[in-house]
Amino acid sequence: MHNTFFICRRELASFFFSPIAYVILAAWTVLMGFFYSGAFLSYATFSMQLARNPQAAAQYNITPTSAVLEPVFSSVTVILLFVAPLLSMRLFSEEKKQGTLELMLTLPLRNGQLFAGKYLSILFIYLIMLAITIVYPIILSAFVKVDWTIVSSAYLGTVLTGMAFLSVGLLASSWTSNQIVAAMIAFMILLATFLVEALAIAASEPLSSILRHLSLGVHLRNFIRGIIDTRDIIYLVNINLLCGFLVLRSLEYYRWRG
Amino acid sequence: MIRVENLTKYYGNLRGVEDISFRVEEGEVLGFLGPNGAGKSTTMRILTGYMPPNSGSAWVADINVSESPLDAQKNLGYLPENNPLYREMTVRAYLNFVASMKGMSGSEKDAGIQRVVGSCGLEDVANRLIGNLSKGYRQRVGLAQAMVNDPPVLILDEPTSGLDPAQIVEIRNLISELKGNRTLILSTHILPEVNMVCDRVVIIHRGRVAAEGALDALAANMQADFTIRLSATGVADALSDKLKTVSGVARVELLGTSTGEESHFEVHAKGDDDIRSDLVAAVYAAEGKLTEIRQIRLTLEDLFVRIVSGEQEHDEETVNA
Repeated sequence: MHNTFFICRRELASFFFSPIAYVILAAWTVLMGFFYSGAFLSYATFSMQLARNPQAAAQYNITPTSAVLEPVFSSVTVILLFVAPLLSMRLFSEEKKQGTLELMLTLPLRNGQLFAGKYLSILFIYLIMLAITIVYPIILSAFVKVDWTIVSSAYLGTVLTGMAFLSVGLLASSWTSNQIVAAMIAFMILLATFLVEALAIAASEPLSSILRHLSLGVHLRNFIRGIIDTRDIIYLVNINLLCGFLVLRSLEYYRWRG
Repeated sequence: MIRVENLTKYYGNLRGVEDISFRVEEGEVLGFLGPNGAGKSTTMRILTGYMPPNSGSAWVADINVSESPLDAQKNLGYLPENNPLYREMTVRAYLNFVASMKGMSGSEKDAGIQRVVGSCGLEDVANRLIGNLSKGYRQRVGLAQAMVNDPPVLILDEPTSGLDPAQIVEIRNLISELKGNRTLILSTHILPEVNMVCDRVVIIHRGRVAAEGALDALAANMQADFTIRLSATGVADALSDKLKTVSGVARVELLGTSTGEESHFEVHAKGDDDIRSDLVAAVYAAEGKLTEIRQIRLTLEDLFVRIVSGEQEHDEETVNA
């Protein structure tokens, strides 16, 4: 337990030592702010038009939460597609390249602790990034009534989806000593999970349902609408477990091969 | 303290080590020698629990490495060949991190860090980034890392490789200071280093133990005959004839004659008896004047070359058979 904490702390210190941390955080803040202000302004215009036309308003079932926050939370997946590989790429690759993985693997430390420490470090950074976005619903609540249950559900969804993305990135990082390659592999895998959704639309049943269930993005959508489905939770948690398991296999393989 | 039994490790079809066995007693410094690619690093990596062997077992501090790697790892300090360091950390932060990972905390940890910073001469650079240090200092940081929890067993893989002569001397002195209270395995292909610090050597070649023992004993075993280099002025033939008559002489070789009528001989003796004074007498009997006489000792280099080339001949024989 202690060891996991020390690994996590070292990773965080190292992360904030490099300029990439600040670039990612800045890009994230700018992009999320861009998506939020866009959604906010278009909702403001739209609601003013509807105010002049009450009959039309009745036809639309639009709440401020769904109109403003849904697109913001949906965009998290898209940004995460780029950010998750960037956050996770160096974790194992750099240690392999510098040879420090040999040190890690000869210290009294379990492979699982090493994985957990690294995983927690990027999860922590991701949570900081999400924490920044809490200002959006708070700003919105100053003007209109915000449905906080949906907001909570959406946050649960983004945390779980983010965890799955990060574990995929970590897995890719454990496969290579080249950070760029690691990021590219992670990006390709994550991108594939989006493309699967497109395939699902084209395919016929039952393949369609299976493909839809495999898609990472689909599961987030339910959370954003305020639906907490155990199937979604199990799917996302399973991705973490699978990636964790494969990382440990990859470390074992690394030991064998030397 | 350290025991290796029938260790075999293959990388796919490539032989790492094959059926290696040796022991190191408590407080002993073992030199681990061999040409590049002989299997030194492989053995060390197995000992440190980094790599599992295909077969055989290893014990460090009397703990089986395969069965309880974490306990074994707590009792050893390891400096890998490429000296892994986090360049973005300060020396102190790095040592602090490694000490924490080795289960130290509080004042014990502070004292440990203070001790190795002192003993490795890192006081001046303790708060600098490792990435900005010179190679010699980095190597010291690597050593400090290995010793921070004062482990009973230290395993150092080529600690002086890639250093300049002054830095090599520094590191060697540091290692010499460690002698006595720790069990130490030191791999190297630099032979004088072994002469200076090691009590015993294991020479491995092509993944097998080619020779093992105390340095003197090894040299004595390999030194089939007693050889004396001798120079004298006088008539070369007369000198040669007289030298041959000395009892205990097997063979006299005239190596050459230099200006001033000085002749150089190599005399091979039969037994272990010291015949040097008899040879001197023979020179005077031939009316020559002795200018130089010395016994040729087998250096570690000679020993190493003999063992390694002997192995090769042996291998070829087996192939031919």
